[in-house]
Amino acid sequence: MATVRGCNLPDDLYYNVENNVWARREADGTITVGMTAYACSLAGEIVSYTPKKAGKSIDQNKSVATVESGKWVGPVKAPVTGEILASNDAVAAKPGTINGDPYHAGWLVRMKPVDWDAEAGVLITGAAVAAAFEAKMNAEGFGGC
Amino acid sequence: MSPTWRVLDTGVREAAENIALNRALLDALASGEAPPTLRFLRFRPCALLGFHQSVDQELDLDYCRAQGIAVSRRITGGGAIYCDEAQLGWELYAHKRDFGHASLAVISERICQAAVAGIRTLGVDAAFRPRNDIEVDGRKISGTGGIFEGDALLYQGTLLIEFDIERMLRVLKIPAEKLSDKAIASARDRVSSLKDILGSPPALPEVKARLLGAFEREFGVSGVEGTLNRAERGRLEQTLAEIDGEDWVRLIDRPTGDQPLHEAWVKTSGGLLRARARFDVPSGRLKQVWFTGDFFISPRRTVADLEAALRDTALEGLEARIEAFFEGRGVDMLGLRPADFAWVVRAALEAPALAPGTAA
Repeated sequence: MATVRGCNLPDDLYYNVENNVWARREADGTITVGMTAYACSLAGEIVSYTPKKAGKSIDQNKSVATVESGKWVGPVKAPVTGEILASNDAVAAKPGTINGDPYHAGWLVRMKPVDWDAEAGVLITGAAVAAAFEAKMNAEGFGGC
Repeated sequence: MSPTWRVLDTGVREAAENIALNRALLDALASGEAPPTLRFLRFRPCALLGFHQSVDQELDLDYCRAQGIAVSRRITGGGAIYCDEAQLGWELYAHKRDFGHASLAVISERICQAAVAGIRTLGVDAAFRPRNDIEVDGRKISGTGGIFEGDALLYQGTLLIEFDIERMLRVLKIPAEKLSDKAIASARDRVSSLKDILGSPPALPEVKARLLGAFEREFGVSGVEGTLNRAERGRLEQTLAEIDGEDWVRLIDRPTGDQPLHEAWVKTSGGLLRARARFDVPSGRLKQVWFTGDFFISPRRTVADLEAALRDTALEGLEARIEAFFEGRGVDMLGLRPADFAWVVRAALEAPALAPGTAA
């Protein structure tokens, strides 16, 4: 568990720091994807969520879902290439769940990666997470979650 | 020498083309094919949904068809609007990194404050109203919204130079009674235009020059007139094929019944207070509410400000948001209490929904 400037960033997840997204590897080889607590803090309260449909193939760094907060629309980008397996109905009903619980109830899509081992190298995990986000927050003038 | 921004003026265009240009210019900036840009634009008559909105919930499509009003979906967030040639659209295409801060609320406020400064030089007492409006004495004069793609962002607004309020009431399903003199007067308390305020509409070139000057000062840049480049023209053609059609308009399509309209009156010791509210059932949110009645409130703009503060409020946070709104504000209400506003909204939501098809 890492906490950077008040933002929770669990160190067992895999992060694309630039895109501010996380992936969790599940036991069956699929991944769960969501926004980081830092991304939620920058966005403010999320009021809309439109995921890509199950069955769709998404390239790494392409959008798996669109969210809206404070009249801003933004994409949430795939940590790795894969097929969308599911989206989160509870989040569709209450998009604010993303802010409230970004790593569990507020997940955005489940995916089946095409080749996790080949693409996950750019993702950051474990002890390197805190420093990577500290540098990003510093560059972005971020006060804290 | 200060950095330069390209200044584009794409004139009056159809809605789909203007929206396709949004996508094309944003993607070109994000891909390094185009410079930061300030664009001015105008629309042939159209109704524009926010990106996440659903057409049947927001618009009177029969009226739009009968009147030849085009319907499209923005790529930016926020609510549905009616637009015609009498509004000036302004758009900023820039990099997030140039703001020195990644918080979206901070970025939109800074851009809106620049637009406010430009509007004020026209002799209008404009101000920024969180989260995203520019208003004059409580009346909205420019709505705004944005989208980002990686480090690139687009932030846009429409400045009401002149505005046909009656047409807006017909096009949009807003929770006002339609087309009575009272409804139009009530809408005029919430929306205004440069012509309403100044008596006559300022010349377009002057308005553009004032906005450009204000953005130049705020961001320390100088504007240089330019045109669409080849990459952008290619992207425009591609995007237009996707955006100019029913699939794009219906991209998000929810049933009207998800957002019923409710109404209630309560008799308070400060007078009659009435609320018409649109409620989003799946998300448990108040979408929009209009308060009317014969109560006294000063300053009068408080009602419009409160309505703006209550947009998209999760119902469980209603009382807290109303309380926070009134806290520290010097509002004089002669017998009406802040809690009465929450009370009348709750009463409305408990009342049966108005029949579908009721003029909203």
